[in-house]
Amino acid sequence: MREEAIIKLEDVSTVYEGESRPAIKDINLALKRNELVYIVGPNASGKTTLLETINGLLPPFRGKVSVFGLDVQSNGRTVRCQIGYVPQDFMVKPGEPYTSLDVVLMGLYGQIGFLHQPEEKDKKKAVEAMKQIGIEELADRSMGKLSGGQQQKVMLARALAKDPEILLLDEPFSNLDPDSRGQIPLLITKLHKEKNLTTLIVTHDIHHMLNRCNRVIVVTGGKILFDGTPENALPLVENHPHTATLEEHHH
Amino acid sequence: MIWLEYAIMQRALIACMLAGFLMGLIGVFVVRMRLSAIGYSMSHGAFAGAALGAATATNPLATGLAFASATALLIGPVADKARLHADTITSIVFPLNMALAFVFLTMVPEVGLSSQVANILWGSVISMTNTDLVFLATLFAGTLAIVYFVWKELFAIMFNRKLAQADGINTKPFVYLIIFLAGVVITFSLKLVGGLLIYALIFNPASTVLQFSENMRKVVVVSPLVGMTTTVSGLISSLFFDLPVGSCIVIFSTIVFAVALLLSPKRRRKEENNK
Repeated sequence: MREEAIIKLEDVSTVYEGESRPAIKDINLALKRNELVYIVGPNASGKTTLLETINGLLPPFRGKVSVFGLDVQSNGRTVRCQIGYVPQDFMVKPGEPYTSLDVVLMGLYGQIGFLHQPEEKDKKKAVEAMKQIGIEELADRSMGKLSGGQQQKVMLARALAKDPEILLLDEPFSNLDPDSRGQIPLLITKLHKEKNLTTLIVTHDIHHMLNRCNRVIVVTGGKILFDGTPENALPLVENHPHTATLEEHHH
Repeated sequence: MIWLEYAIMQRALIACMLAGFLMGLIGVFVVRMRLSAIGYSMSHGAFAGAALGAATATNPLATGLAFASATALLIGPVADKARLHADTITSIVFPLNMALAFVFLTMVPEVGLSSQVANILWGSVISMTNTDLVFLATLFAGTLAIVYFVWKELFAIMFNRKLAQADGINTKPFVYLIIFLAGVVITFSLKLVGGLLIYALIFNPASTVLQFSENMRKVVVVSPLVGMTTTVSGLISSLFFDLPVGSCIVIFSTIVFAVALLLSPKRRRKEENNK
């Protein structure tokens, strides 16, 4: 029996407000459960737009996006409760009145639901997610006082705390220190396998994807240029991040 | 405190406490959700409505509320539907409300600086009635209940609206709720502070407390207390110096904000980082 796609995009184009050119155009994509997919491509190629179209933060101008078999536009809240999302370059300014634990716990608010308050078990989940990432000692620290790498780990813990079925990670390792750059991607790969997740990771660093994923999508100019195995993607992206190869192929 | 023996002054004091508390509370959400320009338009919507009430000899509270609600609808759901940016819609609605307010004020019988016009512009302690107090007290209880029940959502949206949305919170209704609540609180406090000045009381207490606290829960508790203290201090100063109460309250709250800015550890850290 053919396995149903957990994420499905059919002829999807997304246009940013006030712009006429689509950021992604005529995208067709199906992802099955437990796939670990790396998305690579030059700057402004549509990688972030693709992730935010999948979780419904950006409404598609044309086409249909389904997640868990549900139309994302009409079931956005339900769908997003099961998606762990780490946005690109998310930085909290110094002096912001939130602790790291506040930020991680907030990841669970959608699941906790309207008119319900977070309980002790929710706090435990948040602390557990921080432990997984190795940042439990930061729980009571003000988020704005943390380094870029520490903040990125907090955001990863936030995405994991809700025990999601899908992880959408947008450049999640870009600010990490060299040690964490080795450990955290391994941890994500481990959790992906253990929890049977479907994981999409946008990255600029092709070394992260080798031996870790089973599928690579190369996006350029808002279109999917390549969709296949890492081995076959490598010749195409090895000049990355200069991306001359990608641009040449696109044209 | 001989003035407190007069019922009119007791009403003014209670009204100042309730209105100061409410504006300090709503101000936290308005400031943190970056709705300041929207709040500014709301206060002038309520002002225009109150002016219409004075011009047509209807209850300024009812017309103020109607205008504030209409402004909330325009800059909330209608602007969203029309895909208008917040800056665009507030830039249109704000001068329109001011224009309407001035047109209505010229229509008030015995125009010039009739007491009714002056009250709407600058506020008045003697205008507060028992009915106004009942409205304010009901609004006080209602606002506290709403904030308690939807605190989790407001807390997440204040941190980052897009992330809150990504985590499964439907953020729009909560943002509209704050816009609407700001309009209602402004309308019910208009008599006290006046339409031209009231917005300072939404903005100043929250901005003052945010200079110090790194805990949002504390900000939400302390900002209403700062709002209440500044309104009461403004009231007392207005009695001593025989000045319009709204002006005294706003001058007082601005001084408190300026002192907070001077002492702000966050500002000092920023300056040190920039060196």
